[in-house]
Amino acid sequence: MSEVLLKSLKKVYEGNVTAVHDVNLKIKDKEFIVLVGPSGCGKSTTLRMVAGLEDISGGELYIDGKLCNNVAPKDRDIAMVFQSYALYPHMTVYENMAFALKLKKVPKPEIDKKVREVAQILDITQYLERKPKALSGGQRQRVAIGRAMVRDPKVFLMDEPLSNLDAKLRNQMRAEIIKLRHRINTTFMYVTHDQTEAMTLGDRIVIMKDGFVNQIGSPEDVFDRPVNLFVAGFIGMPVMNFFDHCKLLLENGVYYAQIRNAKFRLDDFQQKALKQNGQKPCDIVAGIRPQHISVGSGQLEALVEVNEMLGSEVNLHTRSDDDEVVMVIPTVDLTVDVSMGSRVKFDTKPRLIQLFDKESGNNLIWYDKASADACSPVCKAYPFS
Amino acid sequence: MSKNKSTAVATDPKDAVTLKGNRMKHLRQNCPWLLMLVPAVLVVFLFNYLPIYGVLIAFQDFMPGDPILSPLTRWVGFQNFTRFFQDVQFWPLMSNTFLLCILGFIIGFPLPIIIALSLNALKSRKTAKVIQTIFTAPHFISLVVLVGMLTLFFGRYGLVNNIIAGIGGERVSYFLESGAFRPMYILSSNWQDFGWSAIIYIAALANVDPGLHEAAILDGASRFQRVIHVDLPAIMPMVSVMLIMSIGGLMGVGYEKALLMQTDGNLGVSELIATYVYKQGLTGVPDQAYATAIGLFNSIINVVLLIIANTTSKKFSETSLF
Repeated sequence: MSEVLLKSLKKVYEGNVTAVHDVNLKIKDKEFIVLVGPSGCGKSTTLRMVAGLEDISGGELYIDGKLCNNVAPKDRDIAMVFQSYALYPHMTVYENMAFALKLKKVPKPEIDKKVREVAQILDITQYLERKPKALSGGQRQRVAIGRAMVRDPKVFLMDEPLSNLDAKLRNQMRAEIIKLRHRINTTFMYVTHDQTEAMTLGDRIVIMKDGFVNQIGSPEDVFDRPVNLFVAGFIGMPVMNFFDHCKLLLENGVYYAQIRNAKFRLDDFQQKALKQNGQKPCDIVAGIRPQHISVGSGQLEALVEVNEMLGSEVNLHTRSDDDEVVMVIPTVDLTVDVSMGSRVKFDTKPRLIQLFDKESGNNLIWYDKASADACSPVCKAYPFS
Repeated sequence: MSKNKSTAVATDPKDAVTLKGNRMKHLRQNCPWLLMLVPAVLVVFLFNYLPIYGVLIAFQDFMPGDPILSPLTRWVGFQNFTRFFQDVQFWPLMSNTFLLCILGFIIGFPLPIIIALSLNALKSRKTAKVIQTIFTAPHFISLVVLVGMLTLFFGRYGLVNNIIAGIGGERVSYFLESGAFRPMYILSSNWQDFGWSAIIYIAALANVDPGLHEAAILDGASRFQRVIHVDLPAIMPMVSVMLIMSIGGLMGVGYEKALLMQTDGNLGVSELIATYVYKQGLTGVPDQAYATAIGLFNSIINVVLLIIANTTSKKFSETSLF
């Protein structure tokens, strides 16, 4: 068992600057959790508090059921992979990997066995006698992972480990980490600002902003059921389209979303959810993902400003009244002229429209007040969902 | 590979033209920077290279006022050098200079490194800066003031003797004691310069990736182990360079402080090559040719030491000056 529990974890720096506000998070044994958010959101600080590299200003941290607030990093049974690799430059790869075990006074034959075993898994055996400066970025990152692996930690912490790699290598290493995760089968806590990494690696994703957790959920949850405008806008590429000046209407017991002059009768599921929440008609921001738009017919119209042909799909940057609307249209579905300057009609399925309260920015369907109040916001679960 | 390329350049006139064009382009591009170098190059040439011409008098029967090069110049070859080697002062001068320098080096070289590592290990940056300032301040005291302070502390009626006399002991004239010269000289020099010399190491330590320390903390390294395994290796290239430079200047001790501390009582240990050169060349009946020969001999020793240190360092630590 290597469960990590963050109970109202808080970090306040000198000058009363709060970097992390009351994070409540339970990371299950062998779970891969990803902390994602823009720069300065507190994700790395949270990870560093778990590592013991930052003092905890408030709350409690439990690793494997043991309160670790004041436990030295070396005694937490964790290992960390840094963005800058943090390999000792004067040591060979072998020495780098063996260093922690040497300090623990593990017998030499055992160290040797462990280092070679891990090196073989990571395919770095041929580099064991090299110094880090003689390795490429990808190889260095493997060594950094290897150095963490030899310790057999209960929890693996990774702080933007792929950020220093080029796009191609990053994709390759991401796949390697997925494979590695299944091979070593331990608890992972991974920090990134890259949503692709978050979506592909994480069992659950923790989305942070300004020191607050905005949503905790599976990749599907955060993509399909964002609890607020920030999560909806942060996850997904291209970014979700937001339509201002929209209304949620209730006519004869039926909810409608009004976007400009177009009126969409919401799906049964949305009807039930809104009714259960006792939702009254109000001003809303409607969100539609670029991939959820179809062109050719529909109640809405836009002017194509830029047309990006990507082969299998085409990205259309359009303007609909005051709003910029991005559409991702599979080329096989293209039946109308989408050249620059042309006007296209577009549509979406009502169930794919996200409804956000104009004032609070919370999702009228998925925002769960109870979990948000407990600083552990998840999307609301409905008995009929 | 580069050899083949240069051969091709030399044989192909088109390539030679291109190379020349590239050089001109490079020169034009870097013109402002090269112009900025001119004053520095001029100063170095005027004050460091041009005076080398004066070493010619070491090989002459030179009298003050004679031109260095003229048809009347009396060349004497290595006669001035031979005279120095046969001088009764040769071995005492060599041993005094060597001992003073080597003892000063043994104590003075590691001290700034230890200080820099210790200051860097302090958790409070503010405290570290205050201590660093205190340690650096003595560097700005002039040698005359420093020797004046030594007199105040160790003179017959100085602080130390007053304490000794106060507890019933007998006053000692430390400046007349030959055994006290070297400790006073070396310790006061180190006191004056260790803080200043530490600055370069402190600067090097500031560049150490904090991630390395964090990785070492997670690996279970103690504060001392982090100094040994992270900080020290990080400044080793700088240590190597400083070591080479120190060894290169090992015998280049100045005459000022030794002269200021010199008394009849400690002359046997305080007479150094530098003080002897000063006395021969500038006091009494000046024998500048002889003084230059001794100075040149001393410089040659330094150059040889520099080359040995540089070659050794290159071989074992991959760091060298040239």
